[in-house]
Amino acid sequence: MKMNKFYKTLSILFAGMILSVGCEDFTDIDPEFAQDADSYFNAPADYEQALVGAYDLLQTSYLSLWIGEIASDNAIAGGESVTDSEGLHQIDAMTHGGVNNELRSIFRWNYAGVTRANYIFENKDNIDFEGKDEILAQAAFLRAYYYFELVKFFGAVPLVIDRRLSPDELASVPRSPATEVYAQIEEDLTYAAGILDWTAEQKGRITKGAALALLGKAHLYQNEFAEAATVLDRVINEGPYALFQGDYNGIFRVVNEGNPEVVFDVQYTGIEGGSYDCFVCLEGFAAVGFHSIRGYNGPIYSDGNSYNLPTQELVDAFEAGDPRLEGAILDIEAFIAANPDVEITYAEGGGGHTGYYNNKYSKRLDELGPPDTDLTSPVNHIVIRYADVLLMAAEAHARKANPNEEQARQYLNQVRERVDLEPVNASGEALLNAIYQERRVELAGEGHRFFDLVRTGRAAQEIDGFQTGRHELFPIPQAEIDLARAGWQQNPGYNN
Amino acid sequence: MKLKLPLFILFLGLAFALQGQAQMVTGSVTDQATGESLPGVAVRVKGTTRGAVTDLDGVYNVQAAGRDTLQFSFVGYIMEEVPVANRTSINIQLSPDVETLSEVVVVGYGTTTKKELTGAVSVVDAEAIQGLNPVRIEQALQGQVAGVNISSASGSPGGALNIRIRGLSTNGNNNPLVLVDGIPYSTDGLNALNPADIESVNVLKDATAGIYGVQAANGVIIITTKKGRKNSKPSFGFDGYYGVQSTTKRLDLLNAREFAILKNEAFGAANQTLPFTNTELGVGTNWQDEVFQTAPIQNYNFNVNGGSEKSTYSIGASYLDQEGIIGGDKSGFRRYNARINYITELAPRVNLENILLYTNENRKTLAENGIGSVLYNTINASPLDEVYTGNRYTYLQNFSDIINPLAQIANTFNDNRTNKIVGKQELSYEINDNFTVTGRAGYNYAIVDYKGFSPLVFYGPGKAQNTASNEALDPFENDLNGVLTPVPNNVTESRTVYFNYNLEAFLNYERTFDDVHKVKATLGTSIFADRGSHLSGTAYDIPYNSWEYADISMANGTNLRNSTTSWQDRSRLQSYFVRAEYGYQEKYQLSAILRRDASTRFGANNRFGYFPTASAAWVISDESFFNINAIEFLKLRASYGVSGNDKIVNNWPYRGLLNGEAVYAFNDNLVNGRAIGTLGNDDLRWEQTSQANIGLDFNFLKGRLDISTDYYIKNTKDLLLQPEVSGVLGSYGPGGAPPYVNAGSIRNNGFEFLISYRDQLSDDFGFNISYNLTTINNEVTGLAEGVDFLQFASFGVGGGNATRMEVGYPIGYFFGYETEGVYQNAEEIAARGVTQAGAVPGDFRYVDQDGDGVISFGNNNDRTFLGSAIPDVTMGLNLGVNFWGVDFSANIFGSFGNEILRNYERQQPLANVQTYRIGRWTGEGSTNEQPRLTTAANNNAVISDFFVEDGSFIRAKNVQLGYTLPGTLIDRIGLKRFRIYVSANNLFTFTGYRGYDPDFSSGNPTAAGIDYGAYPQARIIMGGFNINF
Repeated sequence: MKMNKFYKTLSILFAGMILSVGCEDFTDIDPEFAQDADSYFNAPADYEQALVGAYDLLQTSYLSLWIGEIASDNAIAGGESVTDSEGLHQIDAMTHGGVNNELRSIFRWNYAGVTRANYIFENKDNIDFEGKDEILAQAAFLRAYYYFELVKFFGAVPLVIDRRLSPDELASVPRSPATEVYAQIEEDLTYAAGILDWTAEQKGRITKGAALALLGKAHLYQNEFAEAATVLDRVINEGPYALFQGDYNGIFRVVNEGNPEVVFDVQYTGIEGGSYDCFVCLEGFAAVGFHSIRGYNGPIYSDGNSYNLPTQELVDAFEAGDPRLEGAILDIEAFIAANPDVEITYAEGGGGHTGYYNNKYSKRLDELGPPDTDLTSPVNHIVIRYADVLLMAAEAHARKANPNEEQARQYLNQVRERVDLEPVNASGEALLNAIYQERRVELAGEGHRFFDLVRTGRAAQEIDGFQTGRHELFPIPQAEIDLARAGWQQNPGYNN
Repeated sequence: MKLKLPLFILFLGLAFALQGQAQMVTGSVTDQATGESLPGVAVRVKGTTRGAVTDLDGVYNVQAAGRDTLQFSFVGYIMEEVPVANRTSINIQLSPDVETLSEVVVVGYGTTTKKELTGAVSVVDAEAIQGLNPVRIEQALQGQVAGVNISSASGSPGGALNIRIRGLSTNGNNNPLVLVDGIPYSTDGLNALNPADIESVNVLKDATAGIYGVQAANGVIIITTKKGRKNSKPSFGFDGYYGVQSTTKRLDLLNAREFAILKNEAFGAANQTLPFTNTELGVGTNWQDEVFQTAPIQNYNFNVNGGSEKSTYSIGASYLDQEGIIGGDKSGFRRYNARINYITELAPRVNLENILLYTNENRKTLAENGIGSVLYNTINASPLDEVYTGNRYTYLQNFSDIINPLAQIANTFNDNRTNKIVGKQELSYEINDNFTVTGRAGYNYAIVDYKGFSPLVFYGPGKAQNTASNEALDPFENDLNGVLTPVPNNVTESRTVYFNYNLEAFLNYERTFDDVHKVKATLGTSIFADRGSHLSGTAYDIPYNSWEYADISMANGTNLRNSTTSWQDRSRLQSYFVRAEYGYQEKYQLSAILRRDASTRFGANNRFGYFPTASAAWVISDESFFNINAIEFLKLRASYGVSGNDKIVNNWPYRGLLNGEAVYAFNDNLVNGRAIGTLGNDDLRWEQTSQANIGLDFNFLKGRLDISTDYYIKNTKDLLLQPEVSGVLGSYGPGGAPPYVNAGSIRNNGFEFLISYRDQLSDDFGFNISYNLTTINNEVTGLAEGVDFLQFASFGVGGGNATRMEVGYPIGYFFGYETEGVYQNAEEIAARGVTQAGAVPGDFRYVDQDGDGVISFGNNNDRTFLGSAIPDVTMGLNLGVNFWGVDFSANIFGSFGNEILRNYERQQPLANVQTYRIGRWTGEGSTNEQPRLTTAANNNAVISDFFVEDGSFIRAKNVQLGYTLPGTLIDRIGLKRFRIYVSANNLFTFTGYRGYDPDFSSGNPTAAGIDYGAYPQARIIMGGFNINF
């Protein structure tokens, strides 16, 4: 009986005990092994780590390269079918509108980069330490780069600086005129160039040269030729750069990474695998695998997705004997004919076939990442190289209020001389056209063409379907206008 | 905190205050029908705490005074009350309860009877489960109960099923709360339960589920496992079946000749070189015949039940082995279960209940339902390619993205093992006739081990899936720290440990005043804590490129590519609940519930929530004015209440954590940084569902005919959404995501109807038939201010969004272009007055929705509603007949008005297509249904109603024919019962759907009906036996 009493008491106590567990603050717990975004930047390493986060978005550069080519007369969209990456096919046909996955990604990814840079500036005064300026300078460059991409694609975009925006604030943020965005870009790049050195201790870090070259490019995009010339001259005269000597295509090869011609490149490695589920997560250069030959089996190259295929028109733009044609463009049938001893097979993509492939950024057997090798290419994307700087400088000198044609020709002919082509002796309009022509062939396949045509006012005459007053800018993704609820007007011509 | 101490004192006070003599009365209890003695009958002295249970011979002894009344109650029999009237021996016969009104219904922290029930609760009992022979318990719910929709996310062995109670109320997690013997159980882990161990499944569909508060919004499923009976001899059961599975369907794909003709036409239309000079190529390879196989399934259960005077036990063990109809063992599932349910009386009226369920599970999987899945490759592979060439698999060289599905199966290696223990210790003390206090501890401990091997494979030149560079399986090489290094095969092993516990205490009060006023109350508290941790490692270079050696211990330990990852997470819930019930003469019932929950998923601003519910029932047929003789029982039920949903993938959605991805390369090495992941939201709160239910229950013909109907309206607001936000907020970097917000609302309303008739016409002939019908009307009623729609999913390869969530439409409806025939000639195109870019005769003629004279492919202006994956009506028909030892049962399920988006056709020039494409447009007047074939640029493959099909179907889920050997025969061999049967699952399906299986749905409500070639459910023909001894 005593035992019974014990059990009864026990059961009541058991129940009571459970009740009283609640007396502690049972639900007052924090996540383990995690850091809150609002209590960061307590140590120098925190700044450095946040900076790595800001760098990360550079690795979305494939899309900017594609659109720069596909939108122009240089390339067609390609792919496995005419609905494969629908958005690119629409851009190719100049039928793109406010609903376009690829343009949406450009908008989102570059703003993610801006936000990660701003996160550092928002907390820049938390602590002081040696080396902070260098971190802030790199962050400033990155912010400028992302804004430059945005303004280049969309024109006026909302300008958010040094802070993270809460969802509620957004409705009162207008699209800032392109001039204001450019002003911010110039300010950030000037600041960065003032702090950074010409060379960096680590390969892949932003340098003074990268900042100045991008500043010069920003001036050029605003038709500020004198300013562009001044800044680009500094890169040429003070910087450690030189044209790559050797096989032209070698500029882009992994073995020559960091060669003297590279002014600013996005670093990729083939160390990590990748999946189609997350393009923004890739550490490899997606353009390379996508550009490569569909169903290819043979030497040197490796199979890919037949995207961004060069047109006959681009091939024809090369003057006879220009070795850059072969460097820039792979003529698959010619390649097969030149290798009669090996069996080479490939497939034509259902998204279009021209017989040509981007030879600068195509998958090569000795430059593979781990599977899926289409997504993990270790090839760096050279965003600005010395030849580009020379040609931008040449253009700036030729177009500024008081042209310095001598200087312009000298820069232009440096580029031509490297590939053993006759110097250009023209002046005036002819010189300018020679510079434009040189830009097209020298930089073919590198994502410049469309934007060059637009900023020099030649797009309508060169691109089928291009409507003046409309296609100079891409439409702000309609969803972004809707989500911002800030009354943004769509870019001209895209309202239906 | 404030609430707690007074509650505790009240609790203890009540418990101790209510502690409480006569001659011995004895007698025996027998079954009125059979005359057999009934062991285990509860005998209690009315109005006291005294009681007894009949022994093995049905004999009881109880202390009772001469004026006391004895109550005899036993499950399945009508309760009897007998005044002692100074007797010392009372023998009594109990009659079986043919009416279902006294059936016990579990309602959460207590039970009630079907007569007194105020809520909408559906019950599936062990008999029904056995009749269905399900592999998983969810399958036993499909078509059995109204208001519960079960769909298969995959037909592969061990594949998950989606349980949706009364529609879709959120675009987040729609899973109901599942409790097994009161222990919260993961819906994903329901695989682990052996259906044969289950006594009953109770589904709480309406607001009365609100006793579970913040977890109740999607409904609650209460599963009770089998128990023994007091004073019963050990009873042994041994069941088993063996079956053969095959696919329910094969698609009609082009054979080699048809393929060559159609492809030539497509290439020719684009002025390309014809791929086939000779089209007389015969039949070619039927890839489906190669991939589908018959596969065995077998299941054996052993259990023993029994009890002594003080305790009961039920012990079971089972084995299930199922191979896949694709890949056989490569998609197989094996499960061992062991189970103990032991209840003992520690002291009079103090019971200790112990439940322990152990599962060992092993599952292997193949890639399914996606681009690159085995079936996707099977459907799209060319019939011109052989399966083998020489001693290797062929390379399917015409495609770069489609690989030989048999090579894919052969090179897929993985193994998922789960060891899981679910247990409960529960101590309950019946303080007196009125008060019972219960305390329990439940726990779930699961170890999930995964191993996957990625061998060096060469699927053919140019295949993205290759892990080797050539046929000789030389590895790829890539740059690692500046050195070109081979990428060998690799093995990934991971262990995830889940542990959760819940501690609950509650006090139940029940008393009847003046014989008419019945008062019941429940007061309790519950805490729940969940923790998960994961450790995973990948190691490279397994010897012999062989699965046999695929283990990290065999890999090259110093390979620089070796890597490890881990995560850990936790969440908690703390709750108080109270329920008060009042019944007058069992005629009027009122019930009220209030629950308060605190969930760690929400920040300090909104951590606590209160969830009230009220319900009532009125037994109209007990009224004196009720004089419809045909209706013996008529009850009106109504309930209204508010419950919540806190299920989000992310356990810390209110906080902005630095868990984004930040990886870049410096000096050719990966450098890890930090970045913001999902943005936080301090004001986040639970989803709130308010539900009104009104129901009517009828009984006719002496309880043989039951009708039950319900109508409900369920409004969910403050949906936990992670809607798109402006890119300007910067949340679309790697590992980043927009914040969760409470925005939007969804309404589900519907009608549920159940009719069942059962009759035992003679000892040798009886039958039952039941039919249930469920309608669902789902509509999004609100979104965040200024947001017109949210978009999800994608169509094709690299295509745009396929589904939308928009006010006025069902959640996740398909959004695209409407076709209005095919352009027959150039005049038609010209005369139409609507510009459709690139249109030529033979192309779809799309509807100009906005009427601006242009079909726009670059924006949404001409896209519209194309259908929804949510069925309008589902129904089940269940039939059972028994005659002279033969039993027959059939279960038929139908789903109507659901659409499916056909997304398994790869739009590649040389991908195979179904034979319906033979009916393509070939010239003016040929057809107005299908576009021309061409490889040239066209807009016929944009998402349109052409790809949206009616997914309605009727399917015979189970048909079973059994025979029970007569008792006279089996007595001699010492058996109590011996039954053999043959049974067929998914015997036939009527559907117009072209794909494999219309009875499928991804678990994601915003991508529910998108078919990438889902693994179809198998047709199973089996033979089995049930033995009792």
